[in-house]
Amino acid sequence: MSWFVIGYYTLLLGGSCLAAYFNKRSAFLLLFSLTLVSFVLGIIGGTGALRAIAICAGVLALAAMVSYAFREFLIALVSDEMAKELRTAPLTAAFGMFVIFTYAIMGVFAPLIAPYGEAQVIASAFAPADSNMLLGADQLGRDMFSRIVYGTRNSVGLALSATLAAFFFGALAGLLAATKGGWFDQFMGRLADVIMSIPSLIFALLMLSIFGPQIIVIIIAVAIIYAPRVFRLTRAVAGNVVVMDYIEAAQLRGEGMWYLIRREILPNSTAPLVAEFGLEFCFVFLLVAGLSFLGLGIQPPTADWGSMVRENATLISFGDITPLIPAAAIALLTVGVNFVVDWMLFRSSGLKEK
Amino acid sequence: MGDILGLVGRRLGLGLIILLVISVIIFFMVELLPGDIAQAVLGQGATEENLRALRREMGLDQPAIVRYLDWLSGAVMFDFGNSIVTGESVARTISDRFMNTLFLAAYAAVIAVPVSIILGVIVALLRNSIFDRVANVVSLSFISSPEFFLGYILILYFAVNWGMFPAISSLSEGMSFLQLLERTFLPALTLVLVVMAHMMRMTRAAIINLLASPYIEMARLKGAPPWRVIVKHALPNAWAPIINVVALNLAYLITGVVLVEVVFVYPGIGQALVDAVSKRDFPVVQACCLIFAATFILLNLAADVGAILTNPRLRHPK
Repeated sequence: MSWFVIGYYTLLLGGSCLAAYFNKRSAFLLLFSLTLVSFVLGIIGGTGALRAIAICAGVLALAAMVSYAFREFLIALVSDEMAKELRTAPLTAAFGMFVIFTYAIMGVFAPLIAPYGEAQVIASAFAPADSNMLLGADQLGRDMFSRIVYGTRNSVGLALSATLAAFFFGALAGLLAATKGGWFDQFMGRLADVIMSIPSLIFALLMLSIFGPQIIVIIIAVAIIYAPRVFRLTRAVAGNVVVMDYIEAAQLRGEGMWYLIRREILPNSTAPLVAEFGLEFCFVFLLVAGLSFLGLGIQPPTADWGSMVRENATLISFGDITPLIPAAAIALLTVGVNFVVDWMLFRSSGLKEK
Repeated sequence: MGDILGLVGRRLGLGLIILLVISVIIFFMVELLPGDIAQAVLGQGATEENLRALRREMGLDQPAIVRYLDWLSGAVMFDFGNSIVTGESVARTISDRFMNTLFLAAYAAVIAVPVSIILGVIVALLRNSIFDRVANVVSLSFISSPEFFLGYILILYFAVNWGMFPAISSLSEGMSFLQLLERTFLPALTLVLVVMAHMMRMTRAAIINLLASPYIEMARLKGAPPWRVIVKHALPNAWAPIINVVALNLAYLITGVVLVEVVFVYPGIGQALVDAVSKRDFPVVQACCLIFAATFILLNLAADVGAILTNPRLRHPK
């Protein structure tokens, strides 16, 4: 029994007793079940397992504190109406916003943050971390940390532009189909059916094998693959708006189709479309990361998270976790965006339960 | 019974048409190649005679539509021509690998489907509690992580740090079934984690969506305990969406397998596809794409048929 173990259980048990005394049911359940789990894990894994749990809990608490502070920061910053909305945001959503904010800063100011250039060789291959290189060097002796910072710009930028392309074409086609109807609607619907019945990764691989891995090909391929999903949603949402009375009024006023789409339909279907944009971005980001992991994304020497994982994967068999950091960066951003989208979806509809 | 068969038949016909359209896309996309296949194989420096000889050998001197019909009739009999890199029969190289991939996907499905449905029911029972929130966050994180991230984390802990399972799932002839299960445990577990999170969330959503219905309220009012309300009353009506989600996720398994196979160097069809793409071996790419697309469509079809069978209301479209 080390002091750590004694302190660990004292803290957990004390916490659960306090929670029970103050009638905080959910907090008590969480703390006490954690205690029970720790008993089992502590017997199997020894102090190491308990230490791991403590570290996890510490990281979670830190994340919660950061997101709470960030939410308060945003509330203090924006106008009253926005602030009212933000107050209802759960901590997870605030965390997501914080992650997105951080990535945006990192992407925009990459050259200022990164100590070295993304293709600059400064050390021997796989050199360990020192005071000069925060995370050591990669397989060619480039600074890992700088490459990760530059990777934000490249990977997220590529995924973002691909999503924008998919969204632009999908939403345009969906709005046109909803307002025009008729054969155009039918044709686009069938086309979307066909494209959606090809698995996305397979379709992307097929296109890349033919046109070669260039950035523009990736963007077009992703746009073709994901536009049908956007098309379907837009069509469904706009279809509900088109039958409204005010649309008929506008039509009787003699407004053109373009005016109808821009001034009447689009403003009334933004909420689900914005949430869809977030979801779509996650899918695209994962697909692009998968492609670059397979060596078919942005070509070297440009830093890109997916290919960085693959290139440095040998380090993992020596128990080194640095190659996992770019992968974790991908996961963190998608989790963050998903948290925000979850909150937006809940706000606009929510699962129906009284 | 007759109208069910009719409905299923109609769906089957639709699936076949979509598959046909996809085969057209897959075949004619290669035609879009700048130059042609012979040029791509021999490179820019090829002489005119060599090009002509290769074109004749590959049948490129015939019109595209004839070659397409040729290719399609071959594909129906599982004959995809020869690889342009190794010259071997594509069907022979792929068929073993396809069985391996199916095995891996089945292995993952056998674990993931029952566990995720049971977990989904439990989470629906505990909805809005702290456990539900934890499960929500954890499953969302699993869905959002790239497959290779999960795969490498599993390798790091299970293979490198704890040495419980092999990091590379190389298969060899004459391995016992247990050995096979052990070798492929980590890739299967990666797939399980990704798919399970999704299925669990959807099961929960399907059940909670039903909880607002009047008949559930009735069951509650007559004093049925919560687990009974969910298992006896809500679950039977939730089967249709759940079956749909299961089939969609199985379809996802078939494609998600590509990345996982590369991470674990598993000799499956996904690995073959990635290799062929980087070598620009078009017959193999076309064959793999067609097989993946066919499996995907088949599972989507199964989802629709399952939904029709479990939900009598779908049998009488208004």
